[in-house]
Amino acid sequence: MNILSDFNYYAPESKAEAFELIAKLGDKCKILAGGTDLLIMMKNGLIEPENIVDIGGIKEFAGIEMKDGKGGEIGACTKIADIENSAAVAGKYGALSHAAGEIGSPQVREMATLGGNSCHASPAAETPASLCAYGAKVVISSKDGDREMELKDFIQGNRQNDLKPGEVLTKFIIPEPKKKSACKYGHIGLRKAMEIDAVNMAVNIAVSDDGSVAEADLVMGSVAPRPLVLPDIKDILVGKKVTDDLAEKVGDAAQAAASPISDVRASAEYRKDVIRALAIRLVKEAYDAAKAA
Amino acid sequence: MKKQLITLTINDQDYEVAITPMDILADVIRREVQLTGTKKGCGEGDCGACTVIIDGKPELSCLKLAIACQGKKIRTIEGIADPKTGELSPLQKSFLDHGAVQCGFCTPGMIMSSTALLERNPNPTKDEIKKALSGNMCRCTGFVLIVEAIEAYVNAKAESGVN
Repeated sequence: MNILSDFNYYAPESKAEAFELIAKLGDKCKILAGGTDLLIMMKNGLIEPENIVDIGGIKEFAGIEMKDGKGGEIGACTKIADIENSAAVAGKYGALSHAAGEIGSPQVREMATLGGNSCHASPAAETPASLCAYGAKVVISSKDGDREMELKDFIQGNRQNDLKPGEVLTKFIIPEPKKKSACKYGHIGLRKAMEIDAVNMAVNIAVSDDGSVAEADLVMGSVAPRPLVLPDIKDILVGKKVTDDLAEKVGDAAQAAASPISDVRASAEYRKDVIRALAIRLVKEAYDAAKAA
Repeated sequence: MKKQLITLTINDQDYEVAITPMDILADVIRREVQLTGTKKGCGEGDCGACTVIIDGKPELSCLKLAIACQGKKIRTIEGIADPKTGELSPLQKSFLDHGAVQCGFCTPGMIMSSTALLERNPNPTKDEIKKALSGNMCRCTGFVLIVEAIEAYVNAKAESGVN
């Protein structure tokens, strides 16, 4: 399979050069980072861009910075493998580290970037659920400056994001996890490698000194056109200690909120069952880990 | 579109090739450079047959624009055997000794993925070997023998005490 439409290829070497170029080309260009999604779309003829701007080599767009007590920042062009293999990320954002390690194959993880996983906005993407559960923001840059928004608002639907012509996603800002909190990620797929998740989910729970839930977030992937945040989890859990009954209530709420489709990977009915089971498991796991933190 | 001349560094040798931006690295390696050891299976990044090592990392040459690889060090299966004598590397020999090669189509990708693993981690566990090969498909299927071949190579190297 080959790309059948020709294009101009640009590889800017600096941030400033990239912003100029992307502003000039506007909606006539597509941005290439790792290429593991973009090239497949081009090969399948789903897109035929006139211009490709390769930002994968721009050092200013990559890198992991974990700040003591002040959260972390990850450049959009940071390779998924670098996130998976980072002890600093694993220590602070275990669910993100876990999700990164579940993407594609070792080769895909060496090529793909964190920014690409969100910008491509596949409903089944692995990293957005955990990033959203941590409350991550994205930095969107252009030659006119930066703007920030919540990742959950940036991803707007299947293959749709908030980028306007001339803009590029450059960074993720992740808040410092609360003391005595834990975020857990889980997914269901058909096999271990190179699968696309039937359902994925991240649950982030913080507990008070008395062991009751202080904060709770649940985000699901692959069950709706965009990452699905479940606000009900706060009403069900906050102020209480997690019991089997309460975990099951979260499972019921997650199941009711999701609107999965039937496709080659799983039926909607199966996905609904899995959503409940995964929510119950992750609520318990996150709660127990938060208490032990 | 007009072709342009670029230089690719493959197995420590510079090749000047005339390409267009839409040319895929796997095709350029096979057709222009005529190193046909690298295989193109699915063309969508699923099978791993096209795996090459770029700047030390295993990557899929079917999802890579050749034009984006200027200035990078590319290694293909042809760079694994002794460049002068053509003698197979100990890892390649271990594949042969353990019957880890059947039709052979996946073998170059398997060797490249395991070489990248062993350069990063000379003493991998069985699980680490399996994980490193999880992006390489063998449809014959000889996964068990492939893992055994790599394990045997690792054990033999540990016994001989040579790093």
